[in-house]
Amino acid sequence: MKRYLSLLILFSFLLSACSGVVQSRSTTFDLNDWDSVVNAAKGQTVNWYIWGGSESINRFVDDFYGKALKERYDITLNRVPVADTVDAVNQVLSEKEAGKDPGAVDLIWINGENFFTLKQANLLYPDWARKLPNSALVNWENPAVNLDFGNPVDNLESPWSSAQFQLIYDSARMQPEDLPRSYTELKEWVVQNPGRFTYIAPGPGGFQGTRFVKGALYEISGGAEPWSAFDQATWDQWSPQLWGYFNEIKPYLWRQGETYPKDENELHSLFANNEVDFSITQAIVGAGALIEQGLVPETARAFVFDQYMIGDFNYVAIPANAPNKAAALVLANLLLDPELQAAQILPENGFGLGFGIDVNRVTDPEDKALLEAAAQKLGQAATPAEDLASSLVGDTAPQYQSLVEEGWRQYVLQGQ
Amino acid sequence: MSQRLSTYTLQLLLYGVLATPLVLFAVYAFSERWFFPALVPQEWTASPFARLLSDRRTLQGLGESLSIAAAASLLSLAISFPAARTLGLRAFRGRQAAWLAFFVPTVVPPLAIGMGLNIFFLQIGLAGSMLGVTLAHLVPTLPYTIFTLSSVFARYDENYEHQALALGANPVQIFFRITLRLVFPGLVVAGLFAFLISWSQYLLTLLIGGGRVLTLPMLLFSSVSGGNPASIAALSLLFVTPPVLVIAATARYLGQHGAAVQEQY
Amino acid sequence: MRKRVLSSPWLRLAPALLVIGILFGTSIVYGAGQSLGVMAAIGQQEASLDAYRNVLTGSGPAGREFWPSLGFSLWISGASTLLSALGALPVALWLNGRRGQSQQKETLALNWNLAFPHLVWAVALLLFLSQSGMLARLAAFFGWVQTPADFPVLVRDRLGFGIILSYVTKEIPFLALIVLAVLRSQPENYAVVAENLGANRWQRLRYITLPQVLPALTAGSLLVFAYVFSAYEVPAVLGVRYPRALPVLALDFFTNPDLSSRAEGMAISFLIAIIVILLAVISIRQNKSIGET
Repeated sequence: MKRYLSLLILFSFLLSACSGVVQSRSTTFDLNDWDSVVNAAKGQTVNWYIWGGSESINRFVDDFYGKALKERYDITLNRVPVADTVDAVNQVLSEKEAGKDPGAVDLIWINGENFFTLKQANLLYPDWARKLPNSALVNWENPAVNLDFGNPVDNLESPWSSAQFQLIYDSARMQPEDLPRSYTELKEWVVQNPGRFTYIAPGPGGFQGTRFVKGALYEISGGAEPWSAFDQATWDQWSPQLWGYFNEIKPYLWRQGETYPKDENELHSLFANNEVDFSITQAIVGAGALIEQGLVPETARAFVFDQYMIGDFNYVAIPANAPNKAAALVLANLLLDPELQAAQILPENGFGLGFGIDVNRVTDPEDKALLEAAAQKLGQAATPAEDLASSLVGDTAPQYQSLVEEGWRQYVLQGQ
Repeated sequence: MSQRLSTYTLQLLLYGVLATPLVLFAVYAFSERWFFPALVPQEWTASPFARLLSDRRTLQGLGESLSIAAAASLLSLAISFPAARTLGLRAFRGRQAAWLAFFVPTVVPPLAIGMGLNIFFLQIGLAGSMLGVTLAHLVPTLPYTIFTLSSVFARYDENYEHQALALGANPVQIFFRITLRLVFPGLVVAGLFAFLISWSQYLLTLLIGGGRVLTLPMLLFSSVSGGNPASIAALSLLFVTPPVLVIAATARYLGQHGAAVQEQY
Repeated sequence: MRKRVLSSPWLRLAPALLVIGILFGTSIVYGAGQSLGVMAAIGQQEASLDAYRNVLTGSGPAGREFWPSLGFSLWISGASTLLSALGALPVALWLNGRRGQSQQKETLALNWNLAFPHLVWAVALLLFLSQSGMLARLAAFFGWVQTPADFPVLVRDRLGFGIILSYVTKEIPFLALIVLAVLRSQPENYAVVAENLGANRWQRLRYITLPQVLPALTAGSLLVFAYVFSAYEVPAVLGVRYPRALPVLALDFFTNPDLSSRAEGMAISFLIAIIVILLAVISIRQNKSIGET
């Protein structure tokens, strides 16, 4: 047995020796000299790990960024669709575990929780975001921009777009004045309309569900402020009431709360097929992009509660072992390009998330006009801008993420 | 009479169960915004298909699926041929042990295999490559080609080879003119199983490919979570077409060896 | 041919053994290492059974969910296997009773089932049986239901009926083909003799046919159980949030960025493997003829 084992080990060494010499492409650039970055990026392929669950977003990425990268910079975009951002993070972690550098990931569309993980593990390429030429258009003074889930961005990631939690209803089934406008009103509505409401199960792949629960946490505790920094005592004080709220509505939910939709799309499908009366979205165009994709009826409209609708910015980050850092930097900069920023919010382009840049910082009159025109064309399926603004709050500190998700599984889903 | 009736019922059930998915996919694939309680789509459209086929990823997925499945089944056949011949024709000490060595991987979940191989392949640079995924697919395919082929060789008559040798044929001639021809039907069935097992593999591809090797099961899974029934149905149709064609092409051999092991599929 | 005698059978087995040995062997070694928390690059060198302890007796997320998941997995695999075996028998007997062309045709039809991977099959079931699926629409058309909620929950249900149905419809053809092969290879004499001795249909089935096919059916059922118990796709598509099948649980923990969670996922998948192998060993011991399939 021992002999076989040593044979096995020997063989694996041979294999690794053979494949170790595959690539050692080194392209040098100086981050302070943008031209050198662009030159180094020429001819590279950028591996962008991005949530692939939405066909229309996939198409937008290929059609707009893929094309622009090729035409303007001679860079090939390899969009790697992942089921959840966690998969990209895992790839980087596994590479670290295996001691692999260069790795496979150049750029990740990242969310706060995963940013927190990679930042803590020291696996991110440092000190680049504010050196992008287009970063001048970003309002870095805004705490919603320089904090991601309450965690300082520290120049480790660069914004792409913005999003805000909203609900969707069908204007053919309900009138705006009948809509619940707070978690308290929602509870009344749910009790009066048993079986007609459900929400996305909080957890990986269901971050909108997590947001929905966090919004309730804000309302129950009477404010968003206490949650921007982590404090175990605050959590212990309020979490029982939070689970109380969700357990009280549970018997009146779709299928009596015995199960919940796994992700946004499953909820859209329930909503579209008239199984429930509300869906959830993060898009600034509300239901617009979903109507375009044929996922929900054309009469679908977005709305918000009066308060505690969590909104934030989306970012991209570069792993420390990224094989094509220069190309990743060029792409991150391209994402902030005013022309493409204007394109991303239009419902017909299928992306539908908000600006990552601050329109007021755009000096070029042509670009500015373009952005302002786009903002006017959000369509009737979107939540009115003033409603969005007045209900906007930031996300919690990252430590609450897993507390909310695991606590919900334990106390609400499993009912222990 | 009642026998007749039950025969018809069983026939109906059998064909019904097999035809329903195809009909269902076909209807959904040509619909758009088709919501409950509409019984038939309000609008018929080929746009889900057009979208699917114009997506670079679909063709890439089809190509990668086909190449990996083809490579994995050919490799499996080549590697298992000598082993199966020995297992089928020879009695030797340790035959049981060898048989067991091939049996165990068939019951160990791909999940466990994939998770372990993931780190190993990362270290030797095979993770995320087509080669790595193909090699990983060998773990489930190889045992099945070995078992199928060894049952063929168990019924194989070596005397044909002896006669050919006596008539002055060289080993190469014997292999191509005698051996290969005699076991050809079995070879086809074994290859078919290997192809199907590799074709439908999701977990190993996910864990070894790390998202960079994009086979059709990966696309289908992500489409299922995408929630658009029309796209799911169109992709499902595309996904079952190659197996249907392959099975149709090999149907006459399947009749002869139909009961061979076809699990993990 | 004489020369061949010199070459040891092991030489001809070597390529296959080597490939399986390296791929399968390393995956087990690395996997075991990870489940024991030995991860060189992270710098943790000491093996510990923490992950297994967390899974089996822990009060964390893994410990809370492992036992319900184990129960759920045993239930869906047990029920799927039993129902498939029970369903395969009549189908095989029926086909064996048919002759010539029609028999060939239907045997071929059984083989067509191969064209549908489990994932596709599950997707079809979802489109067909969900509360807003095709069947529910038909029911609505005839006025039997008003809203989707009136239609019974057939897939994505808490008891796993949808998962079981998916496996049963897929595995009946598989097991039927195995049984059919045995039936065809048996001489009919036994049944004729029994008939001459005055045995009725039921007796012939009970005392002649069943003992003939039982070994093969058991072996096939074992494969079905092993497959269902360790498969991911179908419970992932047709399952609910809780309880989850073990493979779904394992992958969920394995893909969690928290590193201790990954070890737990690995430990769960090892436990799945151990259970399946134990079961295989037990049934091989009880039924030596499995080796001959």
